[in-house]
Amino acid sequence: MDYYETEEDSALVSSDFKTAVEGVVGGNVYQHSRVKQWNSSVIEQCLSQLNKLGKPFKYIVNCIIMQKTGAGLQTACACFWDNSTDGCCAVKWENESMHCIVNVFGMAI
Amino acid sequence: MEEYNSGDEVAFNADEASISVKECIEGVIGGTDYNQSKVNQWTASIVEHSLTHLVKQGRPFKYIVNCAIMQKSGAGLHTANSCYWDTATDGSCTVRWENRTMYCVVSVFAVAVAL
Repeated sequence: MDYYETEEDSALVSSDFKTAVEGVVGGNVYQHSRVKQWNSSVIEQCLSQLNKLGKPFKYIVNCIIMQKTGAGLQTACACFWDNSTDGCCAVKWENESMHCIVNVFGMAI
Repeated sequence: MEEYNSGDEVAFNADEASISVKECIEGVIGGTDYNQSKVNQWTASIVEHSLTHLVKQGRPFKYIVNCAIMQKSGAGLHTANSCYWDTATDGSCTVRWENRTMYCVVSVFAVAVAL
């Protein structure tokens, strides 16, 4: 069975997500009216990139977009799964007006 | 590996998980104000306690618990999830909680294990 979290896979997948985020929100200023759409686009693109890998995994993609106003934000996650086959990766991106954090979890079927 | 309960419920019970998570949040940050030096510890406690409660149920699931705590300062925050899984057996629930100084959003994802 293919393992999700070989270092190679993780690096490959990480840069794809950064590209997806950049493509959707890059060069934009935080806008309340558009953030929902941005979030959906980022997630959709990440999920379709994962499906293209064609591995026998279930995926969960979580995306947070937060306006930069100096507020504090802390996120954490805990997972109960099979350490030898399952894994996750977090991608952080920012520009002058917002932060974007994408968490991807992959669980072997 | 621990033995799983063989019950009739094969699908994830989101309501039950929701209640359990709300209690965990209240237990950790209920009655406190946002504190930068403690927030790290809070998020870790919330995810740990929530996960422990879920695992104790003994159901055949893999779990992911995600928690975000944000200070209330008028900033906009938007979070979204998308999942590629078996909709008949897998599920999720999201709990939103707030007090005067902060917001807390906890998401629980449960993926069925093939036995």
